[in-house]
Amino acid sequence: MDPQTALKLREILSEGRWDQAVTLLQKLDPATAAELVMEIPFEQQQTLFRALPINLAATLISNFPYYHAYVLLHTRSIEGLRSIVNAMKPGERIQFIEELPEEAWQQLMDELSEEYTPKAPAQKAAATTLGSGVAAPKPLAAREPIAEALQVEKSFLQPDGRQIQVIAPTDLSIEPDTITALLGPSGSGKSTLLRILTGLVKPSKGAVLWHGEPVSECAPNLAIVFQSFALFPWLTILDNVETPLLARGMAHFERHHRALRALHAVGLQGFETAYPKELSGGMKQRVGIARALAVEPEILFMDEPFSALDVLTAENLRGELMELWLARKMPTRAIFLVTHNIEEAALLADRILVLGRNPARIRADFRIPLPQPRDRHSPEFLVYVDYIYKLMTQPELTAALPATPAHAAKPVYPMLPHARPGGIAGLLELLIDHGGKDDVYHVAAELLMEIDDLLPIIEGATLLAFARADKGDVEATDEGRKFAVADISTRKVLFRDAVLAHTQILQQIQRSLASKSDGTMPVEFFRDILEEHFSEAEAQKQIETALTWGRYAEIFTYDSGRDSVTLYGHPHAADSRQDLQHHR
Amino acid sequence: MSHRAKTGVPPWGVFPSGVSSLARDLPIIVAGLAGFYGLLTFAVYGTGPANTQAAIQLAPGALPKYALFSVARIVIAYFLSLGFALVYGYVAAYHAKAEKIMVPLLDILQSIPVLSFLPGVMLAMIALFPNRQLGVELGCIVLILTGQVWNMTFSFYSSLKSIPHDMQEAAQTYGLGWWQRLVQIELPYAAIGLIWNSIMSVAGAWFFLMACEMFVLGNRDLRLPGLGSYLQTAANAGDTRAIAWGVGVMVAIIIAMDQVLWRPIIAWAEKFKFEQVEAAEPAHSPILDLLRRSKFLTLAGRVTLRPGREALDLHFARAGAAARQNPSASPFSKLFWRVLLILALAGIGYALMGMSRMLVALSRSEIWMILRGAGATFLRVEVTLLLAALWTVPVGVYVGLRPKLSAFFQPIAQIAASVPATALFPVVLLVLVRVGDGMGVGSMVLLLLGTQWYILFNVIAGASAIPTDLKEVCGVFRVGNFERWRKLFLPGIFPYLITGMITASGGAWNASIVAEYFRFRGQTLSTVGLGAVISQATDSGNFRVLLAATICMAAIVVTVNRLVWRRLYGLAATKFKMDA
Repeated sequence: MDPQTALKLREILSEGRWDQAVTLLQKLDPATAAELVMEIPFEQQQTLFRALPINLAATLISNFPYYHAYVLLHTRSIEGLRSIVNAMKPGERIQFIEELPEEAWQQLMDELSEEYTPKAPAQKAAATTLGSGVAAPKPLAAREPIAEALQVEKSFLQPDGRQIQVIAPTDLSIEPDTITALLGPSGSGKSTLLRILTGLVKPSKGAVLWHGEPVSECAPNLAIVFQSFALFPWLTILDNVETPLLARGMAHFERHHRALRALHAVGLQGFETAYPKELSGGMKQRVGIARALAVEPEILFMDEPFSALDVLTAENLRGELMELWLARKMPTRAIFLVTHNIEEAALLADRILVLGRNPARIRADFRIPLPQPRDRHSPEFLVYVDYIYKLMTQPELTAALPATPAHAAKPVYPMLPHARPGGIAGLLELLIDHGGKDDVYHVAAELLMEIDDLLPIIEGATLLAFARADKGDVEATDEGRKFAVADISTRKVLFRDAVLAHTQILQQIQRSLASKSDGTMPVEFFRDILEEHFSEAEAQKQIETALTWGRYAEIFTYDSGRDSVTLYGHPHAADSRQDLQHHR
Repeated sequence: MSHRAKTGVPPWGVFPSGVSSLARDLPIIVAGLAGFYGLLTFAVYGTGPANTQAAIQLAPGALPKYALFSVARIVIAYFLSLGFALVYGYVAAYHAKAEKIMVPLLDILQSIPVLSFLPGVMLAMIALFPNRQLGVELGCIVLILTGQVWNMTFSFYSSLKSIPHDMQEAAQTYGLGWWQRLVQIELPYAAIGLIWNSIMSVAGAWFFLMACEMFVLGNRDLRLPGLGSYLQTAANAGDTRAIAWGVGVMVAIIIAMDQVLWRPIIAWAEKFKFEQVEAAEPAHSPILDLLRRSKFLTLAGRVTLRPGREALDLHFARAGAAARQNPSASPFSKLFWRVLLILALAGIGYALMGMSRMLVALSRSEIWMILRGAGATFLRVEVTLLLAALWTVPVGVYVGLRPKLSAFFQPIAQIAASVPATALFPVVLLVLVRVGDGMGVGSMVLLLLGTQWYILFNVIAGASAIPTDLKEVCGVFRVGNFERWRKLFLPGIFPYLITGMITASGGAWNASIVAEYFRFRGQTLSTVGLGAVISQATDSGNFRVLLAATICMAAIVVTVNRLVWRRLYGLAATKFKMDA
């Protein structure tokens, strides 16, 4: 994109000359124009979009990401929306509607039908008068990032000298007045990225800058809220909150005053002299937040702050955090939130970064312009939730990313998702109950499962060709149907066939065992193979999953004392089930 | 809401009003004065002219003074140990390079018996203060220290290494300096381990008190006034009444220390427990309650401790923040460390050369004596462990499975175990000599006395930790007694048994130097063994045998630990762990 055009557009918009902006956009090709519009603040996008003639709006809509298009469409009046959708090219219109999740699709269909009358509050945005003035554009200087990571990457040295890359070269920035959520499955390196940004962990390559200065030299003013709270159990709540203030050499009176103010903000007055172990998990995390707020950090980092809490407590605390943030009662300019909870990210964040795994890299970076507080059940909200699920269940989407040299040099060893066979069977049964196909977020909601638990199961089912994940839907295949309805011993046969057909490590194990006269190999051998491709911890997890699958599939038996595997049914097998069969 | 308004007290506090609070504080004040007087007495004695041949009076009237001296030595040695443990542990935990040397060194030092340090320590101290009692006293104190310091150091080191990661990150994020880290994280986190190891260390000091207060070093016969030398002298004279008095006073002091010192400290340390939920039954001590309620102490703390702590905290925090702003490592400190390192290496090299020269001079018969002794002691220790396990496992399981019985039994056994076995040796020997058996059986009885308790306590703890549902399963399926032992009790207590055996094994090796060689009724009773070799070499001033035997013992202990106990411990921690 031409940066000069972008500058020109911004200038025109800041002067409120909407008609000139429209002319400018009409001159550009639609893809570039859409990209340009995406760059400007959402308030201006809204005003501009409402000023666009129907035809231009329709071409732009087809070029926006569908979720963004959906939200922008709903800033127009109902008549405007209908005409724009009608003006879209038929192919593009079908594609756009196809992408939408069930609720959003239903809503759009209702709106397009003639009988539909809009609910009054839904179109609040459209009610503001158009063209009367500038929608108070924020000064552009404010968009200067507080902290940014430039091409940071992290790799670990294996004992034998090989490098395992856990974070691919990544650019990342944290802007003021923004809640940025870093979203990714567990073990994807989110927490490591957070620690790199805070200077706790040094990147192997690349730099982290705070206001343009290297983080190691400028002692940035930041605070972290930890998943495990990280309170000192032998200090009272008050002393816990005072700890970072004391570290700054603050005298008793001021320290005390600021700590009390922070405790008051999170609703913990009256608990000053309590010890952490007397408090519930939610209260402990309040102390963690108070401790962080007491230092008045420029950026508040939160590392899975609600994951250790039960659902209700987490929801309550999220709400209170947002109240503080929106009322600007928080002495902090930005929040950087690391989470694996999709709904949480979509509820809280202004901007979401979705992280891919092995090695970690940013798969998507987009803004959620929905106003706060957000309604979990609104179609607009669900469009985003569905989009994130789609991203995370579809590894192919990343293929479009440019491969980094380190990445391209070595063939990627297929990774086993850490799912148990029982979990895969359960998912398939549920899908068949739902007619064989459903939106992933529906499945997650019905099972009350977090994406971290659900994703490996879906990946497992897909890997074994029992299911297909497509555009945020998951569908059972014929094999999957057979597997779901079979009895336990047939299931094992089907599982065995699938595992041997689709997983490299189990094929390798089976072949190696079959070639040995005693049918036995030490697990260490396979662990070494995996450690060439994964970090030590991940290799161990891969082995554990492979052992679970292989034992369930009756490919081999495992002797934990000797840490060795033996081909199932082999005369040397230590497994007594074999003896049992003889007895029968 | 300000702090002052909340407590309602001006910063200088209020003076206790009313007689009742004074009455409550009276015992505390009196105890404080008595402690001060004791310190003074010991100081006057310590700075007096040297008298290494003190005549030990066996009259009971002399006991309070002797007891005071012994307690003072143990306390001073304890605080020195604590200081050493903190510094050594801190350096080992935070300097990766130093760690590689310091931790194995600690492992070896731990396996060296107290008596092996004796000649070196004593001669050095007497050379430092030739004409003052202080020299001999310091020697004795350092000797006691060598018995207490290693496990405390290990405990502090491993606590530092296991501080949770998120806590360290919080400390780093919020910029805590080394002082704030020490007082707010490291010391609290290590507190409980340090306290339990302190208790064990002080018990060890009582165990070796007799050997430390009275010994022969070459042609010198050193004796310091104290409870240990009193008992030793009484044993030499065969004075049964004096032995009884001495043992009685020692037991009384140990029980009093437990009640007045350790229990309050354990109860106070409850808050350092690293737990996220409150324990159902926290430890409790009435003495601690008394201290906490004391207005005198509260006031004293408010005018001295609290402002002092605040001033220290702020000083270090501000100094640290300033240092962080201009982090220029001074070239001087780098040079200093280098010089120190070179000096240390030179010292070690010199010592090694001297040692090898001594070892070369060993005669064949001496080597044979050491090897024979090592074999005998090895067998003796293992047989003792086996015997101890044979009686403690059935008894421990029997008691542990019955909560009421163990609640009744536990305090009695604890008192019995707290009596240092060495104090009982004279009594045991009296009986054995009367029966007509020599040290062969005697030394095993002595070892058994010293080590069986560790195993018994652990087995009781293990048996009472066996989950009820597993016992019920055995009941429901009518599992026979033999099978029940094989499938449930033995695997259930295994980790505890191993823990107990490891402690007992280390204790037995160390105790062998006093158990195999004993002066009694004017004669020396001894048997074949490495401990006897070491004791005798100390007595006769034969340093090369002492050195060789010590190296031999350290090598055996370290090897057995590595090859046997560590593996068994690993098995206990994985296969036999209860939470599946």
